[in-house]
Amino acid sequence: MFTLVLRGFVQRKLRVLLTAIAIALGVALMAGTYILTDTINHAFSEVFGSAYANKSVVVTEKETLGGSQASALTEATLARVRAVPGVAAASGDVSTSAALLTTSGKRLTSGGAFGLVDALQPPRFEAFTATTGHLPNVASEVAIDEASAKRNHLTLGQQIVIAGRSPARHYTISGIAKFAGSESFGGTTVALLQPSQAQYVAGEPGAYDSINVAASPSVAPEELASRVGAVLPRTLVVRTGAQEAANQTSELEEKLGFLRTFLLIFAYVALVVGAFIIFNTFSITVAQRTREFGLLRTLGALRTQIMRTVIQEGLLLGVIGAVIGLLLGILLAPALDGLFKAFGADLPDNGTVLEARTVIVSLGVGIVVTVLAGLFPAMRATRVPPIAAMREGVQIPPRPLSTRRMLIMRFVLGLVLIFGLGAVLGHGIGLLLVILWTARAIRLGARLRRKGERPPRHYRVIPALGHAIGALVAWRGITGRLARENSVRQPGRTLVTALALTVGLGLVAFISVLAAGTKTTIDNAVNRSFAGNLIVQNSHNEGGIPAAVAPAVRQVNGVGEVTAIAFTKGRVRNLSASGAPVIDEQSTVTAIEPESFARMYKIEWEHGSNATLVTLGQGGTVLTKKFANAHKLRVGERLSVATPSSHVVSLTVRGIVKEEVLGLLSNLTISRSLARTAFGQREDAINFVAYAPGASGAEVQHGINTLLRRSFPQAHSQTAAQYTQEQSNKVDKFLLLVYVLLALSVIVSLFGIVNTLVLSIYERTHELGMMRAIGTSRRQIRQMIRYESLITSLIGGVLGLIVGVVGAILVTTFALSGSGYVLSIPVGTLVVLLVIAALAGVLAAQLPARRAARLDVLSALASE
Amino acid sequence: MVDDPSERDAYRDGYAHGLMTGTGPENGSRAIVQAQDLRRRYGEGEAAVDALAGVSVDFPSGRFAAIMGPSGSGKSTLMHLLAGLDRPTSGTVSVGGVELTTLDDRTLTQLRRDRIGFIFQTFNLLPVLSAEENILLPLSIAGREVDREWFDRLVDTVGIRDRLSHRPAELSGGQQQRVAVARALISRPAVVFADEPSGNLDSKASGDVLALLRHAVDDFSQTVVMVTHDAHAASFADRLLVLADGQIVHDGEATSPEQALDLMKAVG
Repeated sequence: MFTLVLRGFVQRKLRVLLTAIAIALGVALMAGTYILTDTINHAFSEVFGSAYANKSVVVTEKETLGGSQASALTEATLARVRAVPGVAAASGDVSTSAALLTTSGKRLTSGGAFGLVDALQPPRFEAFTATTGHLPNVASEVAIDEASAKRNHLTLGQQIVIAGRSPARHYTISGIAKFAGSESFGGTTVALLQPSQAQYVAGEPGAYDSINVAASPSVAPEELASRVGAVLPRTLVVRTGAQEAANQTSELEEKLGFLRTFLLIFAYVALVVGAFIIFNTFSITVAQRTREFGLLRTLGALRTQIMRTVIQEGLLLGVIGAVIGLLLGILLAPALDGLFKAFGADLPDNGTVLEARTVIVSLGVGIVVTVLAGLFPAMRATRVPPIAAMREGVQIPPRPLSTRRMLIMRFVLGLVLIFGLGAVLGHGIGLLLVILWTARAIRLGARLRRKGERPPRHYRVIPALGHAIGALVAWRGITGRLARENSVRQPGRTLVTALALTVGLGLVAFISVLAAGTKTTIDNAVNRSFAGNLIVQNSHNEGGIPAAVAPAVRQVNGVGEVTAIAFTKGRVRNLSASGAPVIDEQSTVTAIEPESFARMYKIEWEHGSNATLVTLGQGGTVLTKKFANAHKLRVGERLSVATPSSHVVSLTVRGIVKEEVLGLLSNLTISRSLARTAFGQREDAINFVAYAPGASGAEVQHGINTLLRRSFPQAHSQTAAQYTQEQSNKVDKFLLLVYVLLALSVIVSLFGIVNTLVLSIYERTHELGMMRAIGTSRRQIRQMIRYESLITSLIGGVLGLIVGVVGAILVTTFALSGSGYVLSIPVGTLVVLLVIAALAGVLAAQLPARRAARLDVLSALASE
Repeated sequence: MVDDPSERDAYRDGYAHGLMTGTGPENGSRAIVQAQDLRRRYGEGEAAVDALAGVSVDFPSGRFAAIMGPSGSGKSTLMHLLAGLDRPTSGTVSVGGVELTTLDDRTLTQLRRDRIGFIFQTFNLLPVLSAEENILLPLSIAGREVDREWFDRLVDTVGIRDRLSHRPAELSGGQQQRVAVARALISRPAVVFADEPSGNLDSKASGDVLALLRHAVDDFSQTVVMVTHDAHAASFADRLLVLADGQIVHDGEATSPEQALDLMKAVG
């Protein structure tokens, strides 16, 4: 029987290819995702490996809460480490993110990456070597990594600007440096400075981020690590170089895991769409081969043999699709990389890493999805009676014969399914999604196909929708009229074909509506809450701005008032009388200047007033309503908060604010002076600026910009309108990325339309022959098929819009209620989506239309 | 739908202008379909088969001709060539004075649309259209105005007025074939080709359909060419042609079914 399957495949090359592509594209995105993230991980682990290769032991601070807290590693710590027996050498290291710019203000980094400033280490520790010039010998010199120098056309003797947590300084390039391991840092630029200069940029003279230790020849790194650990406080972490490299690599992999999940979601969406198409194609071909199956049954083939034939076809198709997908995935990975670079995530990569896991998972998922999608049509094929071979138009009995064998088969199938799910573990949810969606489509299709039984009302929507949309083309004469009738001839088939498109377009519509709402929400909130004139913040994503910005801006002519806002973190830990934690939650903490904040930001109070802020002092906090309600906290109660700099502070609740759309006020808000002392907060996030009465806004902003360009080039000032515009641009950028990724699913569904059309045309060969015989021109045939495709794609488009918009409305009504989110329907975008659906339909019809028009009249008439 | 002007011009050039009016010529003796030394060979080399081995025949306007012959005699091939569905290996065919063998596909399609009517053994109605829409299909395709008077007359003649809004699946075989006859006549073609029109019908329905064809010839001066292997069907015609081995072996007045059967036995 397998020979029969193979013969069939060879004979139907085009159909096999079209169907295989349906599954291949989803598999390609999956394989591409793995390859890309593996490649990035590999590049990072190479970087970390070389960075710590010459370091026996590394001392760092415990990173419990993150944030930019003050460093506890000082010269004294360094001296203590040096005194440990077995230490051959030790050196303090600084590694801080900073803005690296040309003298004209252009950033050296690319693709949204941040700049990195490293303190030059003694040669035994330093991973960089100079390829041109020399590493910085004096305070005014800097060495730049090779890739960045090339990208920015930097040469020796040129000046660059480095802006970290202190006012910006100019440095002269003394050397171009090459890293010992990987050549690629992605879009990152590394600048090597003398240690004291690196400390200046970090804003902490005399403090280090880590201490590198080299062991004497006879001492093992592990032994040395425990010796060093014994003389240092518990707040510090001592690891061997190898451990530190592994630790950093795994931390990074965790962060990249998000990227992987994000991309895999889109791969699964494409696979769902692919499964629809496989199911539809198999259903149609099984129906068309009723006679063939009947003949096989007449010749003595068992039901199980028929079923096996169809399943084998699914398996073979799955293998072909998955292999094509894997190969496409290898090609796709660099394209995905380019996509992320274009959208502001330039990550390092070296070569292409193809792990065995990628191959196994991609092939496995591709094959499983295909076989599952083909399973139900296969079961249908078993119900073809032998008489079908003799007579024309025998219908497959609608209900399965519930013989014992069928029951056993189902049970086995169920087991296989469950074990299959368990085996692919991480992909369980994705597969479940595919199965649920496909099952739903199958039920719909089956009910519509069943003759003599009127489908439930909501399934009748397809003929109704088909007729309504068909009206658009029906006035175009007989071709439009026929197209309309043909598209609702097999409602189940049209539905599944259209649903494939609905999945992609529905998600696009859903995201579009949410994005439009987000923009409106930000816009409204800024207009309602912001009472100042300018917002000063980092113009990139290097983080915050130096604390020195606020006092400097205050000095600019025409500035009335400046208020600085910072963000830090804390762990809220309240214990009950018995010592059990009542609250144990890590949270962002907002730090404000109590005297001026309320004058530039309208707070909506639940309990308290603007005067409450002044009472914050060193022990007060204001909570959001949500946080207070969640932990049943009231004004006057006390909270215990552990800070990033390892203090524990006790805070009294002074007031409660209503929900905050912009998220400027976090769960907890404290005074900025407390953040400085107890939380070790060194930099600000945002400054709000108000003009002095009578000052010219344009002149003041110009004055501030001049100051920022000179001393704090990482920051920029924006009016409320400029700020909301930038936010809206960010939303649009993300939206575009999502569109590009969903486009793949839409392309997959186009193949579905092509497939269904080709199969329908094959079915209607005789009819087309008659039409040609009585004088229908080839052009009219082509037009009819195009209209048919147009109707199908518009059904998919309209359903997609409905699903997307309704979904977005439901989400905003239920999940986002009370968050101040404002719903906004982007009518223009939705219209464009419909137009795209229509164009897609016409595009998909090209090949089928040409095939239909090419039919030879006589052989078409002779066919059955 | 409207064809573009250049296409229409090409189409006009392919015809004599006088034939565009749609009604057949009044002169009953003029040949509306002419075939000269038609040959049709399938395959090549030793496997080549001559389905038609030199057939010359004229079909005068307003007459009903039946073509009979055993399987493989070439009767279907002859009809396909006369109707412009297939091209001869050599020889010429003209319909209404237009030489078919030199026409391109587009002009040939338009000629079939406007000048030729078809009736098939399997009815070949479009299942998605109502009976009325099926009848009007040739006009819809051509984008031509419906002559309501003619339509009404046809509907009453074939007797399906109460079935006009039904779809083919809701009609009996006989009713479907009567719809097909109306469809073939609606554009007032120069000639109607019927391919075993009664082959799929019971004797009652078969008699109805053949009587309809007879009626079309007698009352509408329609030219009809019918291929059949049924001697009874052939007896409705004016003229009987018998083919064997790709050649005409008999051409004469139509006879009784019994005589036709004898003729067939002689060649079969």
